[in-house]
Amino acid sequence: METSLAVRFLSGGMNIALVLALAPLFEGILRKVTAKVQSRQGPPIWQPYYDLLKLLGKEDIESGESPAMQRFASWLSLAAILTLAVLVPMGTSPPLSGAADAYLLISILTLCGVSTMLAGLAAGSTYSLVGMSREMMSLMTLEPLLAVAVVVSVVHTRSMALDAVLNGSAYVQAGLPLAGILMLGVAIFAFQALIGRLPFDIAEAETELMDGSMVEYSGPKLALFKFTHMAKLVVYGALLVSIFAPWGSGLPAPLNLFALLAKLLLLVLVVTLVAATHARYRIDQAIRYYGGLLGLSLVALLLALYGF
Amino acid sequence: MSLLSKLKETVICLQAGRVTLPYPQEPAKPPAGFRGRPIFNIAKCIGCAGCANNCPAREILVHDICQEIRIIQYVGRRCTYCGRCADVCPEKAITMSPEFENATNDIGDMQQRLELFMGTCQRCGRCFKEPGPMEQLMMKGYRLDLLEQERWVYDAKTYLDREPTVRDIEIELG
Amino acid sequence: MLRELCRKMFPRSLWVYHANSGGCNGCDIEVLNVLTPYYDVERFGIRLVGSPRHADVMLCQGPAMRSTAKALRRAYDAMAAPKLVFAIGSCACGGGIWYDTYSVLGPVEKVVPVNFYIPGCPPRPEAILYGIAVAVGLVDKKVSPVKLKQLEFPIPRYHPEDLRTEGEMVVYQKQGRV
Repeated sequence: METSLAVRFLSGGMNIALVLALAPLFEGILRKVTAKVQSRQGPPIWQPYYDLLKLLGKEDIESGESPAMQRFASWLSLAAILTLAVLVPMGTSPPLSGAADAYLLISILTLCGVSTMLAGLAAGSTYSLVGMSREMMSLMTLEPLLAVAVVVSVVHTRSMALDAVLNGSAYVQAGLPLAGILMLGVAIFAFQALIGRLPFDIAEAETELMDGSMVEYSGPKLALFKFTHMAKLVVYGALLVSIFAPWGSGLPAPLNLFALLAKLLLLVLVVTLVAATHARYRIDQAIRYYGGLLGLSLVALLLALYGF
Repeated sequence: MSLLSKLKETVICLQAGRVTLPYPQEPAKPPAGFRGRPIFNIAKCIGCAGCANNCPAREILVHDICQEIRIIQYVGRRCTYCGRCADVCPEKAITMSPEFENATNDIGDMQQRLELFMGTCQRCGRCFKEPGPMEQLMMKGYRLDLLEQERWVYDAKTYLDREPTVRDIEIELG
Repeated sequence: MLRELCRKMFPRSLWVYHANSGGCNGCDIEVLNVLTPYYDVERFGIRLVGSPRHADVMLCQGPAMRSTAKALRRAYDAMAAPKLVFAIGSCACGGGIWYDTYSVLGPVEKVVPVNFYIPGCPPRPEAILYGIAVAVGLVDKKVSPVKLKQLEFPIPRYHPEDLRTEGEMVVYQKQGRV
């Protein structure tokens, strides 16, 4: 598109600011609704902001196998999510769409997963290595799913430019978009796993059960990891919404943002209700579940290739 | 694992509303007969030290500082709120109050110290002494309770080094 | 300025690590009760975390035993400053009934420095909530040392001011007081 550089940077900055401001708020809503489902009064909605600020003020203890790699991993995870944020349309067209295409999107999605694995490896304690190995197992079956979702859109629109791909292009088809609907179902069922919330929070929030891959992190580095975890909800939600449910993004300037926020809020409520009523899956049950979803997504890809 | 059962569970929990007790805002009354902190009433205490004898945690210390004055100190650190002192007291001077809000940042806040005037014999002016040596060994004056260090020792062992209670054991934390 | 904000947020979101160094688990159950919906402690922003590195407060329960003293000290050292230690229950505050057995070293403060004590055997969940409120600064503490004296001395005693030295002798001359 021929939008000027300044406008691009501005909308990119707005995307990043939106993610940074909204991520703890959605996490707060999630905790409050979980509490209501459990018949108790939960923490105030602003609680994750307090948590992050408190973590930033704590002392940073350097421990674990390689502290330099720990520092790098904590910055890398947040940086990857924010880079993804400028590639995803939030109310406007994706800011850096002239500089990226769908392949870069898939690669950065993989980078987000890899950075959590790097975190677990850098700590080097037994608990974090176990968490990291489970995260690796889940990643190997989940990233192809995301990639297939993007590739289905690429196949439908015959172009790799982000503007075209991330614009509801799963349904661009004459007649009944079978592949799109199948992919939508698969994506909805896989969403909990992608953002690492309760039935599938095997590696990240397992801090509550055993100690996950974040066991050796304290203070500011932990704040960055928690932020990444919260931001995943917003960014992956926006990605999903733009591929599969883009209605309302053609409206004039503030209204499309509100449409996006309404859709994200609905998504957060669904995620919360599922997370509050399910128990955590074991790793082998989870892998079997992802395997089934992966099979379905490959079927969707075949359908897309054959013109359905 | 059906979805319907999960939805039913959610509906049941939501119907329960909010079950949280509004505790710090509203006071919570413990049930009747609840044993909280023991309160010593100096007007009724006769200084028999039956409570000190009976405390399973040896938390009540008795010291006769002179012929007529006896100090009974309840050091509240190890008290398990069992109520044996209140059961044994012949004058019902100890009541297990329903107070459970005992949190503090200095554990010395829990102590209660009674200075009691013990009656002396009007002929010889001394306090009552047990008849034989065995009973004398059991008498509270022969048990020297070190009030500063909050320790309960028999008189034969009072030639120990006077170190404070908290740091008297060398712990090897390798 | 950011540091000031972070310090102000500290009492509003305390992350708790529970360390039981040899107790009978009575206080464990009461701490668990505090985390349930009935006495919900999460409304103060308190969360149970599994690793001492993530925690701000260590809830110590049970006396310091000979076998677990080293582990307790290591868990305390692994926490990141600023940190607090709460000693919950009579065993952690003063050694409990077991203070002189062969395996107990004493109260938890022989091994880690304690900031707040919550006595009780076991303390009621409301008592633990009260202790947290005292630590956070919401309420004032209610206990203080009590020192009582019986002031009447009905039998006449020698008043020190009636004693008079005369040369090498000390003379007791009653001034008509009883």
